[in-house]
Amino acid sequence: MAGPRSVLLGIETSCDETAAAVVARDADGNFEVLSSAVASQIELHARFGGVVPEVASRAHIESLNPVVAEALVEAGIGGDQLDGVAATAGPGLVGSLLVGVSAAKALAMVWGVPYVGVNHLEGHLFAPLLEEAEVRFPLLVLLVSGGHTMLIGMEGPGRCRLLGRTLDDAAGEAFDKVARYLGLGYPGGPVIDRLATQGDPAAIAFPRSMLHDGLDFSFSGLKTSVVNHVRRNPDVDAVDVAASFQEAVVDVLIAKARRAADGIGALGMTLAGGVAANSRLRERWLDAAMADDRRAMLPSLAYCTDNAAMIAAAGLWRLGAIGPTSLDSGVDPNWALSDTTS
Amino acid sequence: MLILGVETSSTQVSCALGGHEGVRSAAQVNRDQRHAELLAPMIEQVCRAAEVQYRELGAIAVGVGPGLFTGLRVGIATAKAMAFALRIPMIGVSSLDLLAFPLRFSPKTIVAVMDARRGEVFSATYRATPGGLQRLVEPQVGAPAELAEELRSHSGDHLLVGDGAVRYAEHFAPGKGIEHADRALAHPSAWALVQLAHAQAVREEFVAPEEIHPTYLRKPDAEANWVQRPGLLPPTAAGGRP
Ligand SMILES: [Zn+2]
Repeated sequence: MAGPRSVLLGIETSCDETAAAVVARDADGNFEVLSSAVASQIELHARFGGVVPEVASRAHIESLNPVVAEALVEAGIGGDQLDGVAATAGPGLVGSLLVGVSAAKALAMVWGVPYVGVNHLEGHLFAPLLEEAEVRFPLLVLLVSGGHTMLIGMEGPGRCRLLGRTLDDAAGEAFDKVARYLGLGYPGGPVIDRLATQGDPAAIAFPRSMLHDGLDFSFSGLKTSVVNHVRRNPDVDAVDVAASFQEAVVDVLIAKARRAADGIGALGMTLAGGVAANSRLRERWLDAAMADDRRAMLPSLAYCTDNAAMIAAAGLWRLGAIGPTSLDSGVDPNWALSDTTS
Repeated sequence: MLILGVETSSTQVSCALGGHEGVRSAAQVNRDQRHAELLAPMIEQVCRAAEVQYRELGAIAVGVGPGLFTGLRVGIATAKAMAFALRIPMIGVSSLDLLAFPLRFSPKTIVAVMDARRGEVFSATYRATPGGLQRLVEPQVGAPAELAEELRSHSGDHLLVGDGAVRYAEHFAPGKGIEHADRALAHPSAWALVQLAHAQAVREEFVAPEEIHPTYLRKPDAEANWVQRPGLLPPTAAGGRP
């Protein structure tokens, strides 16, 4: 590793995970994750069937210091050896964002280093770069989570263009709602993924909304179809519903991702966001990339879901390309990805 | 020992620095919902004005509420992170105690009343003692009309302080044993916090950052609903992550 190396502490509290990580970047722009700690609140929210913002904010207040301590200890680094502290400043739940941003600014002040406010979505786009050294651009990124479904063209780190997005529910939201309707609990993604392995994906022909229609998505009709089908066929096997529903979602995601990748002449295609943990999506992603002769990148599950390593990486890039964020900046719960780049 | 105090439980953001010789520097701004933008630069400014480096601080004091949740999150997250990074202890003080503090020489019963939004107030009652203030009624949340009725049922003179008393002035009409403090004292201040915290520091009443918890006095909405009607929520027995 040559040249100056920068090391950042990243903090992520935009939703229901309290996370901190230490990431280094060498002169060639390659990232090295020195530590990545996450305190999940899933248990706290499970009984409500979804994330409760006030519950999330309160949990972040309690977990943040211990998670930061864990990240620093694991990285074997003291606060005074850092080159900055980054935190997610949006989009996300305002009360949750405030905890991470306030703590990050406080740490940066005390350690006498810059603070960097990072866009959470931009963070997700850095996740694939954490593990792969020689990424060739342009890269097509499918960002799928409980809050987002987006197709993004990346011409380089931090240089991205939104190509398509969901017009209603996010893909992960559809998983949660269907799971909730079927009485499977929360979060819906992992449960449906598990059930689907025992079901027939062709058992029920659920609609593929807007399949041949541009690069935007719509999942609310699919959710309604599932509800109607189960209502009309109360004896249907839940594993077939899960498998058929999942297949309908994955079909649309894959078809649009391939079309978007063609459109920008992508050399590679990568997944990001919590739904990127879905085993069927990962399998079909690899097949699609191979069929189209593109390099497929599948980040580790730990970097697909919300984590702070991706925030630290985005912070390192932002610090170098744009500079520190002023201490009098706040949070932006609706910070759009398009506002992060010029 | 030098103590940095941070108080953000109302619409006011305030910060002060002091020690045995009293408050050395302080700042405050009242601009609703701007806690996150205002606090960090204010801390820098207050320390610079006192010519104090962060590493010279001996403790971080923070107003722990009750108060506006947004403000509390900013103040407490900031204070806890500073104490963590500096490896110094903390002192948490009730924001209602801070409201009452400037009136500690009054012979009347002091009633600290903060606006809790949603038509309610946070309140606590105090009386002056030689050592400072003694709480007569612990912090609580409720309708201003109920508090007013409660006060009127007691004989004796009450001195009300806080933005809750100002906002719901119609319930707390002066006369008949009710009097209002100067409006300049309507928000808990870091100036009072540093003085109260110093008294605690002398007695070595410190806590670790992980022992600082906000005083909410209200459950999260979803939790309150859960307690009221669990039958309406979807089954989660099969839920959870594999
Ligand atoms: Zn995310």
